[in-house]
Amino acid sequence: MGVTKEQVESSLKAKLNPSHLEVVDTSGGCGASFVVEIVSEQFEGKRLLERHRMVNAALEEEMKQIHALSIKKTVTPEQWKQQQESNQSNAAA
Amino acid sequence: MSCAKPLTLQLRLQSRTVTSFHSVVGRVTVTTSTLSVPQPSPLVFSHKLHFQPIFKRASTTIRCSSALTPQLKSTLDKVIASNKIVLFMKGSKDFPQCGFSNTVVQILKSLNVPFETVNVLENDMLRQGLKEYSSWPTFPQLYIEGEFFGGCDITVEAYQKGELQELLEKVMLC
Repeated sequence: MGVTKEQVESSLKAKLNPSHLEVVDTSGGCGASFVVEIVSEQFEGKRLLERHRMVNAALEEEMKQIHALSIKKTVTPEQWKQQQESNQSNAAA
Repeated sequence: MSCAKPLTLQLRLQSRTVTSFHSVVGRVTVTTSTLSVPQPSPLVFSHKLHFQPIFKRASTTIRCSSALTPQLKSTLDKVIASNKIVLFMKGSKDFPQCGFSNTVVQILKSLNVPFETVNVLENDMLRQGLKEYSSWPTFPQLYIEGEFFGGCDITVEAYQKGELQELLEKVMLC
């Protein structure tokens, strides 16, 4: 019994209202391991630790069955835009 | 439902012809113990219900109560207060038993700082209690100067940005 990518996405969408969200199931099918990238306005003014706590709290139910949750990115829409732009300029250079 | 204490239940009946009441519903035995007929209000029965749980699961009782006992909390307080850097991890410093724990061990080793590790796989009470203590669902958990710093992702990110090095330099000077 595991958690689906869709369950993780819908909980995160409902609680953090992300402008960008990427959930990857890295469990190989058993639903116990996920990688999350999330962009949300609610992260504004919050430290990294607090942002991760918000993601953990949003997935409280799912965490009972998830073995490994890797939170790769918790950024604000503004930070996300800057990162996208710098990636593009790196690619162009 | 598992319940150690008998429950008292009051039934209100409109009919006034019933003089005694006894029924068995599944594993629940209902016996009328008192009967009062306050006129003109409806009949009031007082019952004592004794629930016999059909399944007794050890895990149910563990989940109901907190794993973080006061004793465990004060032990953790002491461990964290008496070491500048403590890593609660799966496995040991020299033999990590989880990739995420290993990552943090390697980062700390590369920074040449002394750190204590506690293997949470050795004690399930400790493992569950720590999740509550730190309000953090997974391991490893890194404490620096008595404060929860983060899990694997946060430590990696801070290391990549150079923030972890900066913090540890400060901590080691004190």
